[in-house]
Amino acid sequence: MEDVLNDVVSSEDLKKFESVYHEQLRASHVTQKAQFEYAWCLVRSKYSADIRKGILLLEDLYNNYDTEKRDCLYYLAIGNARIKEYSKALSYVRSFLQIEPANVQVQQLETLIKKKMEKEGLVGMAVAGGVIIGIASILGLGIAMAKKN
Amino acid sequence: MGVGKSCLLHQFTEKKFMADCPHTIGVEFGTRIIEVAGQKIKLQIWDTAGQERFRAVTRSYYRGAAGALMVYDITRRSTYNHLSSWLTDTRNLTNPSTVIFLIGNKSDLEGQRDVTYEEAKQFADEHGLMFVEASAKTGHNVEEAFLETAKKIFQSIQDGRLDLNAAESGVQHNPSQPGRTSLQGVSNEQQGGKDSCSC
Ligand SMILES: Nc1nc2c(ncn2[C@@H]2O[C@H](COP(=O)(O)OP(=O)(O)OP(=O)(O)O)[C@@H](O)[C@H]2O)c(=O)[nH]1
Ligand SMILES: [Mg+2]
Repeated sequence: MEDVLNDVVSSEDLKKFESVYHEQLRASHVTQKAQFEYAWCLVRSKYSADIRKGILLLEDLYNNYDTEKRDCLYYLAIGNARIKEYSKALSYVRSFLQIEPANVQVQQLETLIKKKMEKEGLVGMAVAGGVIIGIASILGLGIAMAKKN
Repeated sequence: MGVGKSCLLHQFTEKKFMADCPHTIGVEFGTRIIEVAGQKIKLQIWDTAGQERFRAVTRSYYRGAAGALMVYDITRRSTYNHLSSWLTDTRNLTNPSTVIFLIGNKSDLEGQRDVTYEEAKQFADEHGLMFVEASAKTGHNVEEAFLETAKKIFQSIQDGRLDLNAAESGVQHNPSQPGRTSLQGVSNEQQGGKDSCSC
C-alpha cells in the first residue's frame, strides 16, 4: 500500500457503498454522492471489471453534472492507469493540469503513471508499436497492389 | 480553506512549505524513514481529504492506523469546535492502542489567533491526547509532532500493548530487514462547517 495506484479497497467497503448505490438505483434516485463514493471504491478494486464499471460511473458524473469535475478527472486517471490504459490516464491528468497547473497531488500522479509505464517497458513499446503499424500498412498496400496485378 | 494537513505532511517529508495548496482529493500518501532508539522505521502516512464529501470513504483509512494526527487551525474556532466529532470517529474506527496526537496548526498567525493554547491543552489532557501548536509554514514543531507520535507507537510495541502480528495494528515488522518497522498513521481534519470550499 505504498501509493495511490496500488491502494486496494477492502471488500467490506466495496460492498457497503455498492449496496447504498443499488438501493438508490432501485428507488430510481441515485445521488451524486452515492455514485461518487461507489465509483471511488470501484476504481480501487483489484478486479479490472470493477475498475471499468467505476470509470463508467465517473464519466457519467463528469458529463452530466457541473460539480466536482476535478474529483472525477483525478479518479478517472487513477482508474485508467490501474487497467493499464496509460494514454487515457495521462490525458485525464493533462486536462486536470490545464485547469490547475500547480496541483502537486496531480503532478505526483503523473510522475507515478510515467514511472509505471517505464517499469513495464511501455514507453519503448509505444515506439515499437508505431513501427509495427507502419509495416502492417505497407504490407497491406503491397497485398492490395499484388491483387490488382 | 483547509487546516493545513497536506502542508504539515509536505513540511515533514520535503521540508518545504506550499503557499497555495489546493484541497486534497480523496487521500494522499507520504513516507519518510526515521530513526527511533537506533532502529530504522519507515513511516507510512495517509493524508485524508477534509472536505465533507470525502469523509464517508476516507474513514476506512483510519482502520489500519497505528497513530492518528488530528489537526485544527488556531485562527478558526469552527475547526476547533469540530474536534469532538472527529475524535469520536477516530476512536470508534481505530483500536484502543492507537496513538492520537492533536495539532493546532498555523501558529505563525499569532495575530489572528481564535483558539487559546490553554483551552486546547485542556481538551487534549481531558481526552488523553498528546498536543502541540505547530506551523507548517515555518516548520515550528512539525518534526516534533510526527516524531513524538512515532516514538509513542514504538513504545507501545515494546511494552507489548501493540501486537506486531495483529493485522489491524497498523504495524509491519520486516524480519528479513532487521530493524525495519513500518508505522502507518492517518492525519485527519477538522474542517469548519459544512465544507468550506474556497480557494
Ligand atoms: N500561515 C499559514 N498558512 C498555512 C499553514 N499551513 C497551511 N497553510 C495554508 O492553508 C491552506 C490549506 O492548507 P492545506 O494543507 O491544503 O489544508 P488541508 O488540511 O490539507 O486541506 P484539505 O486537503 O482540503 O483537507 C493552504 O493555502 C496553506 O498555504 C501554516 O502553518 N501557516
Ligand atoms: Mg489536504
